[in-house]
Amino acid sequence: MLKIENLKAVVDGVEILKGINLSVNSGEVHAIMGPNGSGKSTLSSVIAGDETYEVSSGSILFDDDDLLDLDPDQRAHKGVFLSFQYPVEIPGISVSNFIKAAITEKRKVLGLDPMPAKDLLWKMREKMDLLNMKPGYLSRNMNEGFSGGEKKRNEIFQMAMLEPKLAILDETDSGLDIDALKVVANGVNKLKNSNNATIVITHYQRLLDYIVPDYVHVLHNGRIIKSGGKELAHQLEEKGYDWITKLADEKWGS
Amino acid sequence: MGLLEKIEQYTNRGTDKVSNKTAYSKFIDLGFPSLKNEEWKYTSLKKIIANNFEIENQGEEITDQEIKNNSLDLDNKVVFLNGELYQKPTISGVKIEKNIDHSPKYNDAITALNAALAENGYNITVSENTIVDKPLEILFLTKNKSENLAQYRNEIIVKKNSSIKIIEQVKNLSTNLCFSNMFTNINLEEKAIIEFNKLQNNNESQIIVDNTNINQETGSNSTFNTLLFGGAFTRNNLNFSQNGERCESNMNGVVILDNSEFADNHTYMDHLKANCESNELYKGIYLGKSKGVFNGKIMVRPDAQKINAFQANNNLLLSDDSSINSKPQLEIYADDVKCSHGCTIGQLDEDAIFYMNTRGISKQDAKAILTYAFASDALNKISIPYLYDVAKDLISKKLNVDLSF
Repeated sequence: MLKIENLKAVVDGVEILKGINLSVNSGEVHAIMGPNGSGKSTLSSVIAGDETYEVSSGSILFDDDDLLDLDPDQRAHKGVFLSFQYPVEIPGISVSNFIKAAITEKRKVLGLDPMPAKDLLWKMREKMDLLNMKPGYLSRNMNEGFSGGEKKRNEIFQMAMLEPKLAILDETDSGLDIDALKVVANGVNKLKNSNNATIVITHYQRLLDYIVPDYVHVLHNGRIIKSGGKELAHQLEEKGYDWITKLADEKWGS
Repeated sequence: MGLLEKIEQYTNRGTDKVSNKTAYSKFIDLGFPSLKNEEWKYTSLKKIIANNFEIENQGEEITDQEIKNNSLDLDNKVVFLNGELYQKPTISGVKIEKNIDHSPKYNDAITALNAALAENGYNITVSENTIVDKPLEILFLTKNKSENLAQYRNEIIVKKNSSIKIIEQVKNLSTNLCFSNMFTNINLEEKAIIEFNKLQNNNESQIIVDNTNINQETGSNSTFNTLLFGGAFTRNNLNFSQNGERCESNMNGVVILDNSEFADNHTYMDHLKANCESNELYKGIYLGKSKGVFNGKIMVRPDAQKINAFQANNNLLLSDDSSINSKPQLEIYADDVKCSHGCTIGQLDEDAIFYMNTRGISKQDAKAILTYAFASDALNKISIPYLYDVAKDLISKKLNVDLSF
């Protein structure tokens, strides 16, 4: 589904991604871990199409398309979704109107009429139940005055509504207490099926107790320096990152 | 013949009204305001008054279809065609007649000119203890064979314990320039309530200078919504005076301009008495080469203790060539008051645009939605649902997007 080859990205003249290679197939959950400043968020931003980052080489194949040829909204229409580490507050637009606008645009691109209001509302209710969200959510302004946990829940709610093929969860666990984390993780797990895939970006192993990955990759200094199964996350939790980053630094320089 | 000569001739046109002549003298003393006048520092009338305006009406026929097309088609309509009262509704407890007031209510050249020349306008009186359910639409339509300077002089009196909602539009149906000099005096008696909506969605041949004075007695409540979505040149002067305690005055403005449109909103909130409140929220959105001016003054007199006065003017400049001059002013002579004012000028939040993009919303639509959201808190003050929908439609057209969410 997703095939990233030799991806390099630069911001303000500094190379942040130095040649990423990553393949993700349908039905898989991948975790990308790494210390602060390793390039995790840059990678997710580049996949989503943030123009702050200049892609200097490489490709991101998503099914038959190179995502790098597409605008962020076109990538979303193809089925890419990014759950933001810091969701943006949008005063003046309610959650329900925002989601309606997003769904209507996607359907328009697919040549479909807007979803009838009743169906849309029904679907929203169903997905809100999944995430233990109170009905009042819908009429609140998008992320405005939301707590950290509410913002993250709202990200997963949008994911549930948009039903992406590829969901990238950027530090979704930050700002969540343990109960909220369980609810969010449960939501993500329920949305998982054999046709979609998830990339979980996280600093800590904690989230991976609830969203169990098939593969774990360690990102350091703009490169994936180690890949393995879910046991790799446990090793990192025990030993920290030093033991692998040292080896990598010897190989590529720090 | 120049405009000033025409004005003189028209003032002397055989009427003996002393009031007209006194007003005329005042106008001549003051002259049309220039940029040297502090209140007109960013707003030049020079090019406008160089036009070859006629003062005599040379109106062309306006059909019923044209009235329908240009009105909101509400049940209760007051319609003026080319300066003459054409249609008025019958509403229980409400007296509507042609206004003949020429009392010297003027404080500058423009209002003096209005008093000197105006022969038309409405007088609406709402009797005591009358709640007018349906909003009243007031429509001034002109269609002139030549460039025209038109004056209307209006009065609204809302008596004790009564309330009314009004939507007013001034529209020029001709391609010949029309300079409408509007003056409206509103008196709210004890516990009276008014919501006045000024819908200014005009074309390039409409010039408006509007002066509205709102005088409030004890416990009265006024809301004034200015919806300014177009017009070659618009200058609104909105003056509130709270003459009794426990009054509330609300003014909201949404200004969206494009091309080389110009609009200047001047507001003056005079707090004379204690225990009152005023809220002011103006949102400006400027595209193309449009220019805006906002000047909001709050005056708190020595007797106006324990008042709350709030004012905000937020502006979005959506193009390189648009501009806004904003001047909030606060003068306080009482010591136990709560006042705040603020002004912002900015662009759309790029992070928000990207966020919406990642949800599949195109850049253009994201910008429009954010622009609409920016205006929404001022727009939400409109209490007439139909007008709210009309305003929303007009905004979507102006921003060239579908805002039907």
